[in-house]
Amino acid sequence: MIWLTWRQFRVQALTAAAALAAFAILLAATGPHLAGRYAASAITSCHGGGCQSAAITFLSQLQATSTYPVVYLLGIALILLAPAITGIFWGAPLIARELETRTFTLAWNQSITRTRWLAVKLTLTGLAAMAVTEALSLSYAWWADPIGKAIDLGGSTSLFSGGRFSSLIFATHGITPLGYAAFAFALGTTTGALIRRTVPAMAVTLAIFAAAQIAMPLGVRPHLIPPDRTIATIESSGLDYGSLTATVVPGQPGAWLISSGAINPAGQPVSTLPAACAGSFGPKVLSPGPCLESQGIRETITYEPANRYWPLQGIETGIFLALALALAGSCFWRVSRRRT
Amino acid sequence: MSAVIETGGLGKRYRRQWALTDCTLSVPAGHVVGLVGPNGAGKTTLLSLATGLLAPDAGTIEVLGGTPAAGPAQLARVGFLAQDAPVYAGLSVADHLKLGARLNPGWDAGLARDRVDRLDLDPGQKAGTLSGGQRAQLALTLAVAKHPELLLLDEPVASLDPLARREFLADLMEAVAEQELSVVLSSHLVADLERVCDYLIVLVGSRVRVAGPVEELLAAHHLLSGPRRDPATLPDGLEVISASHTDVQTTLLVRTSGPVLDPAWTVSGVGLEDLVLAYMSQGAGRRRRDSPRHLEVQK
Repeated sequence: MIWLTWRQFRVQALTAAAALAAFAILLAATGPHLAGRYAASAITSCHGGGCQSAAITFLSQLQATSTYPVVYLLGIALILLAPAITGIFWGAPLIARELETRTFTLAWNQSITRTRWLAVKLTLTGLAAMAVTEALSLSYAWWADPIGKAIDLGGSTSLFSGGRFSSLIFATHGITPLGYAAFAFALGTTTGALIRRTVPAMAVTLAIFAAAQIAMPLGVRPHLIPPDRTIATIESSGLDYGSLTATVVPGQPGAWLISSGAINPAGQPVSTLPAACAGSFGPKVLSPGPCLESQGIRETITYEPANRYWPLQGIETGIFLALALALAGSCFWRVSRRRT
Repeated sequence: MSAVIETGGLGKRYRRQWALTDCTLSVPAGHVVGLVGPNGAGKTTLLSLATGLLAPDAGTIEVLGGTPAAGPAQLARVGFLAQDAPVYAGLSVADHLKLGARLNPGWDAGLARDRVDRLDLDPGQKAGTLSGGQRAQLALTLAVAKHPELLLLDEPVASLDPLARREFLADLMEAVAEQELSVVLSSHLVADLERVCDYLIVLVGSRVRVAGPVEELLAAHHLLSGPRRDPATLPDGLEVISASHTDVQTTLLVRTSGPVLDPAWTVSGVGLEDLVLAYMSQGAGRRRRDSPRHLEVQK
């Protein structure tokens, strides 16, 4: 059965290996130069507040190059797309094509049970899908390491701004790619078994997976672990003056800021600079903080501390792996008692 | 001899429509059994239930004394060739043989190789480029080289041209003779069955209309023709299967255990095709009352 799985899968496997190799070559060609730029930058010798400006300088110079922004975005796009691609092209046809071409009558009448047939196919192809996505993620994490470090130091440009908790970075780093890959693959296989036609199953797989990819950071991830709340004095450097929302969590470096808003002493939300403080924010004075503080206006912040990164990664991956297992289970049920 | 397929009240439903209802039959071992009936009689459903590809919604089915597809051992005992002989288009002939060898402990590599040689199949050729006849031969090779005790073939020759049809059936009979297989072969073409089957089951609207060794069936049925008369006035022991009348003449196809002695009748033998058609139209006539359905009989 392992032989048959490989024989039917080898073209896809070799295609994936070739794509992975091409991506690896691109990273290997540009990665050492990126690391060299980082080593030669002012970041390595900075102290205290100078580090942020050194990081900003480093990132601004990177953004001005022609190569690094392209590879940076391409990598994220590939890691986000890889589960969808394997789900569509490996998962959806796995059962659907056998039903469509009626070759299941051949496969399921050899001296091997359908359960075993499906178990071997799902395991080998599913693990391959997970391995491909995670390999992309790990090699990309190696490449983007200097950029991540600069962002952690407070560096930010229009392109390089996402910390490790930001939507795109969180889902493409760590162990979450494993969960997304397993889920997309199992989803493709299941829709194929249900719809029994490859092309519609591919479309449905893509739609559901894209919805899951969007719903997770927007609606689910902030609630996986009940976030902490704090009420802090406003610091001018960590404030968006327009909306009076915080841009960093005071005293919590590397934390994930989920939401924030200014409140007055009565506890009511304030969203614009009070008239009394308008004068403290202008061409000459750029620090409304002391004025706001004197008005009793403070900031409520909802956040996840930095040390919850791996627990959150674990929970999100666990959710997708559990969904993948449940979907795989439904495939077994579907295949073992099939109705034409 | 024991039964290779034994069903009791067997039924299978697709959504709300029953494809097979209350089917009770027993297929004896050691025969090449023709399962014949019009399209929609439930032949494919019955064979799919026998292979375990489908699970019954009502009744029971036992194949070689076991539950269909219950485990690897049961699967190894039954060979199946589905309608239109599906094969993997992207895999070569040699790949298919390797597939058979990997997935069947009882695989006879020598037999498979000899068959492929004799049939002039190019091992390197992709199965998707084979002709319909070659594809059927390849699928049959896979089904017989696993050394089953029972071989089930669903309309194996329906899509083949007359020459390929003849070759396939000759080849099938050779395999049967070599391996002492029991075979159940479905078809709506009586002419094909006549050449190879020694046992016949006529299935119409899920019901077994008649079943028995071909020779006995032919010996027990007669065509009577004589002056027009009411079939009800016939002596006991004659079962009228079909009757047709003209103004002056009545022609009956009857089943009887003994000879027909009434001198008013001209008695002649009946061919298998006429016999089967008589039973099929009988069933179709009955069924047409509740649901009109197209009866397709090819020659």
